[in-house]
Amino acid sequence: MAVIEVKNVNVTYRVLMNKSGSLKELFRDALKGKARVVDYVALQDVSFSVDKGEVVAILGRNGAGKSTLLKVLAGVLPPTKGTSKVNGKIAPMIELGAGFHPEMTGSENVLFYSVLMGRDVKSVKQRTPAIGEWAGVTDHMDFPLRTFSSGMVARLAFATATDEQTEVLLVDEVLSVGDADFQAKSRARMDSLISSGAAVVLVSHDMSAVRELATRAIWLENGHVKMIGNPEEVVAAYEAN
Amino acid sequence: MKYAQLIRLLVNRELTLRYKRSVIGIGWTLLNPVLTSAVLWYVFSFVFASRLPSGQQFAPYLMAGILLNTFFNQGLMQAADSIASNGGVLTKIYVPPQIFAISSALAGLTNFFIGMFPLAIVCFISGQPLAWTLPLVLLVGVALALLTAGLGLALSIMFIRFDDTRNIVNVLLMILMYLTPIFYPVTVMNSTMQTIIHWNPLTSYLDIFRWAFSNNANPTMFSWIYMSIWSIFAILMGTYVFKKYWPRTVAML
Repeated sequence: MAVIEVKNVNVTYRVLMNKSGSLKELFRDALKGKARVVDYVALQDVSFSVDKGEVVAILGRNGAGKSTLLKVLAGVLPPTKGTSKVNGKIAPMIELGAGFHPEMTGSENVLFYSVLMGRDVKSVKQRTPAIGEWAGVTDHMDFPLRTFSSGMVARLAFATATDEQTEVLLVDEVLSVGDADFQAKSRARMDSLISSGAAVVLVSHDMSAVRELATRAIWLENGHVKMIGNPEEVVAAYEAN
Repeated sequence: MKYAQLIRLLVNRELTLRYKRSVIGIGWTLLNPVLTSAVLWYVFSFVFASRLPSGQQFAPYLMAGILLNTFFNQGLMQAADSIASNGGVLTKIYVPPQIFAISSALAGLTNFFIGMFPLAIVCFISGQPLAWTLPLVLLVGVALALLTAGLGLALSIMFIRFDDTRNIVNVLLMILMYLTPIFYPVTVMNSTMQTIIHWNPLTSYLDIFRWAFSNNANPTMFSWIYMSIWSIFAILMGTYVFKKYWPRTVAML
């Protein structure tokens, strides 16, 4: 059964040339007939589907549309054309700790982040000590986040994001969190999430991680799918390019 | 509702975060309107207090105006800002963005209701009895929250697209404040100004609020109808505008 189904997705950004973000200049340009709007195509006719337990890696240079694709999958950015359907709960790990606030305590941030991802307040409150412990920040949970080191913040965010089994994980270069110990630990947790049926879409520039983790790879170039298939082959072709 | 928990957290966060590093914390919510009223009362009571109709006291009149104006001003700016300032979250995790604007309006509403306590004390001290219509204050609060959320939603799109809007809105809000009878009785104005003030929607909200709280104004049928029309229009217009322009605006965050 396909957990993610993307069909003919197009995303066009409207870019105002000589954009200054000022109303006055927009009016002036409009009066002179100079307000040129350019459509920037970020994704073009992208189609694929992801099944349960699959790990799909997305490769491509900067600006190829990888992040845009993840945003479409997360449901944050509506496609201009086509459809993107995700069946099940998503753990968006596009940026760890999106929504964390420096003045709130560790526990408060865990609660807020979890509820943002659609979890229930009561069950999160029960889980909070375990999340703190797993991240190795138990002693700090009642202090404001601004007193955390950046590694601690990242660990807490990863622990929170992966605390619940979800059907879909969207990952953007977040596998390199923390020190070597924590990386091994987080890798093990990812593996267990995948083996219990989560589908993963992964954006990474780390080709060895892609070879190791992915069951399929998609190579994006200038917004369209250049190649899709076995990760070994796609990575080889991408690196030869 | 699916997002009720998130809204409650957001309202809570907005109420507490502002005072996170202060000693008396949320106590400022009580103290702020009192202090502002005290200053304005000292400045204006010589000029305006005697111009109020008999039976109306200046201190609660003034403080009611300040509470309502603070609710509208702060609520609107925060609601309009909320979407841009939470852009980092909204582009990573899917939640209906409208929730942030609605939470800001609700935080303003909560502050407004907290302000009722010092207002009641001021009424008591100045010898203005509370009215039996007091529960109707709830209605005014909800109506103003709808107006704030609706206008805030529409403005939030503008705030993301054009930085200038923020400054324009600031000036407009200041003009609007002077066109609302917050610290003066309407009768001190000439007839042209009175007409303008009459058509300012905030005047209707304020008249009803003052009347409902302590019989300190004389709203008419017009005030009720005008208030309802503005609230309903604002929330419908705001949600429509937001829905229509959001897909193209989210790309700018």
